[in-house]
Amino acid sequence: MQEFFQLVVSGVATGGIFASLALALVLIYNAMGLVNFAQGEMAMFATFLAYSLVGTGMSFWIAFPVTLVLAFVGGIAVQRIVIKPVERAPVLTLVIITLGLATLINGLAGFIWSYVPRSFPSPFSADTVGIGGVFISYRDLGVIAVSGLVLLVVYLLLQRTTVGLTMRAAAHHPEASRLLGVHVSWMLALGWGLASAVGAVSGMMVAPILLLEPNMMQSIIIYAFAAAVLGGIESPLGAVIGGLIVGVTVNLAGTYIPNAGDLELAFGLGIIILVLILKPNGLFGRAAIRRV
Amino acid sequence: MSALLELENVHAGYGPTSVLHGVSLEVPEGGVVSLLGANGAGKTTTLRAITGGVRWTGDIRFAGRSLRRRATEDIVSQGIAHVPEGRGICTELTVDENLRLGSHLRRDKAEVRKDYDRVFEYFPVLKERRKLSASTLSGGEQQMLALARALLMRPRLMLLDEPSLGLAPLVVRSIFEIIRTINETSRVAVLLVEQNARIALQLSSVAYVLEVGRVAVQGAASELQDNESVRRSYLGY
Amino acid sequence: MNRIRTAPPRYWLVGLVVVLFVGLPTVISSFLASEWGQALVLAIAIMGLNILVGYSGQLSLGHGAFMALGAYISAILVHRYRLDFLLTIPIAAVATGLVGFLFGVPALRLSPLYLALATFALAVVSPSLIKRPADLTGGVQGILVPQPDAPPFASDAFNAVTGTAMTSDQWIYYVILFCTLLLFWLAWNLGRHRPGRAMRAIRDAEVAAATSGINVAGYKTLAFAISAFYAGTAGSLLALSTGFVSPDAFPVSLSIQLLVGAVIGGLASIPGPLLGAIFAFFLPIESNQWVPSQTWIPDQITATVKNAGPAVSYGVVLILVMMFAPNGIVGLVKAGYVVLNRRLRGAADRETGQVPPDPQTV
Repeated sequence: MQEFFQLVVSGVATGGIFASLALALVLIYNAMGLVNFAQGEMAMFATFLAYSLVGTGMSFWIAFPVTLVLAFVGGIAVQRIVIKPVERAPVLTLVIITLGLATLINGLAGFIWSYVPRSFPSPFSADTVGIGGVFISYRDLGVIAVSGLVLLVVYLLLQRTTVGLTMRAAAHHPEASRLLGVHVSWMLALGWGLASAVGAVSGMMVAPILLLEPNMMQSIIIYAFAAAVLGGIESPLGAVIGGLIVGVTVNLAGTYIPNAGDLELAFGLGIIILVLILKPNGLFGRAAIRRV
Repeated sequence: MSALLELENVHAGYGPTSVLHGVSLEVPEGGVVSLLGANGAGKTTTLRAITGGVRWTGDIRFAGRSLRRRATEDIVSQGIAHVPEGRGICTELTVDENLRLGSHLRRDKAEVRKDYDRVFEYFPVLKERRKLSASTLSGGEQQMLALARALLMRPRLMLLDEPSLGLAPLVVRSIFEIIRTINETSRVAVLLVEQNARIALQLSSVAYVLEVGRVAVQGAASELQDNESVRRSYLGY
Repeated sequence: MNRIRTAPPRYWLVGLVVVLFVGLPTVISSFLASEWGQALVLAIAIMGLNILVGYSGQLSLGHGAFMALGAYISAILVHRYRLDFLLTIPIAAVATGLVGFLFGVPALRLSPLYLALATFALAVVSPSLIKRPADLTGGVQGILVPQPDAPPFASDAFNAVTGTAMTSDQWIYYVILFCTLLLFWLAWNLGRHRPGRAMRAIRDAEVAAATSGINVAGYKTLAFAISAFYAGTAGSLLALSTGFVSPDAFPVSLSIQLLVGAVIGGLASIPGPLLGAIFAFFLPIESNQWVPSQTWIPDQITATVKNAGPAVSYGVVLILVMMFAPNGIVGLVKAGYVVLNRRLRGAADRETGQVPPDPQTV
């Protein structure tokens, strides 16, 4: 029983990582109706930046917010330079552009930092603490705390501030928002910046667990897709809950299903397929009525 | 003294299709002007040209300054509120959030609060439904929300595109009463696009009738109302 | 004879291209022939994807997995059951096509975005799925595929032309070329007749197509089956060409490469997949070799391109092409043709002021 709780807790921690990346995907989906296939690579690149900063002697807790700012700016830059010029193009074109971006960023990271895996220092100690007879590692708690904090901040930003309101309006109702004086184009750029920063959190939390290398996020993004699809691709709340469910389920499956080994990723695929077959709109998504 | 809004020989269209062929009209400060005509005559296109939603040539001036090449969000922040065809309600947001979008550009907090009070006086139902999603409102209520939102921008000019569309006659009447009150109390000019010529003419001082992208008839509203041949040929009643 | 003389110029171009490809191994090295063979393999797979994406409008980011399936079926049949390789090609193709059909059925229910996601996930996961049944698939190490020698009739013909014996690689090239020509011809026919028209109708306006009585579900699943058939053929031929199969030969980047080739070449066209395959196959190689040899390119850029490898140049080119020529090479050519035509025809057309329609709608 103890083991079960331990697995659940570390599953929640993993889930927090998935949820952050899934949230980034949902934010961009809401703004543009497309899934940013480069989200994972952008997060990876930001994580490498954090690595370099820490390498110069900076403390992790300073490098963390600095990296978020850099990721934010990077996200805006990507939107301005690559996405905006083609924003009216059909979805297929945009999808391919994000794929191109993913390839580009991956290659760039490989060029700058090579493909040799590195260890990324975790800001949390490896000790465990006993709570009610269950041993939970500080690392897991730390990941849960950081992810939770970031998600909370994003929630408050979007729901309680004017900027968040204009971002949401620009994403869902661009034409109407323009007529109300909202600079839709800049709001979309902000959305990308925000998504990029949130994705960077995901990267920095996962790097101590996996080793830091350019292909690090490729499996994470599958789980993030699964989480976003499970939660309903348009729902930020769904992304969070989906992330937690995927995290816990994959963790439990990895231990309790015999011979699972490296099939955890296939598990992620299985979740995606299952959800798409049974409940295509996910847990919190709305059934889109197609105009005929 | 020049008018608040002036259109001079405006041509506009969508890609290769030209819709407006030299439209000229004026809206005086604090006045109510109707833009009438059949479907497809170019009324909506005219409004869209003003707020930059469609390419145009000629000149459009607001408070003496040309609106050429300005982005929609800039034009609107100069003091023009445009309630588009279909109202443009943000259904993903609550009623309150829609209203806040109206006032979000303004810095004068005290005045904004006054305007909220006034808006809730005109439209008490909006106050009741503040926290609900805007998608739960009926057609008439959405029209009220659109007007309220426009009012909260404290515009100098309101562009209203077919406010009567899809509404029951009683509701239409009360909405137009409120538009009249708004114009008289707050001195907001109104450029009103309507297919329901009768009620539009009752409200306006001047009217223009568009036909296939050109101004076919213009003049004082009372004259147009009294002129039977104009009414029959152009206004359908 | 008359038909040859009056055939439109396009047919002459096709004939020329075929002749070029047939003659290619006689003038290039055996190694290069093998490379061109692999490019042709990609062309087959891309044509399959083109049928799915360009003609029926469904998106797949996982066709590399279908290639893997075809490759492994052939490899296993040869390795375990000692079948002649050439025999395994149609078997692998049909089997993969059937699997594609099975995929097409649930795919009907997915929106294009979700289909992209699901197929992307499939592509990422398939290497690890392949490793699992290790005694069947050879696990991580894969399976070696013996490459057949050229049969006497071919070798003699080749000898007569070039004076040298035909190598195994060159024979394989001709096998691939044969399949390519056959499958391209098939696709061309498909596009011209009812299936092609039905699919295009579905792609452009699905609901309208349905109300016109087109069996939308049937054609969409058919498109999936056919495209999987092509991918399976390509996979099988790839196994033949490279001499082995392994899970790492089918990473997700392969699936992306296929889609990229399809789009850059030009969707819903016949020459598109060939052009796209040549681009997708040779760009990474060439950028590594060609750029350093150009003295007018500053050293810093050269060093960057060389070190960053194909990925960066690939990504940059991809983005640029999508931004400036989203209809692909074929689209550019067609657009250029239209511009040229208008210039040549002169004033007469200026009257109508007609805007030419887009070469393709996706």
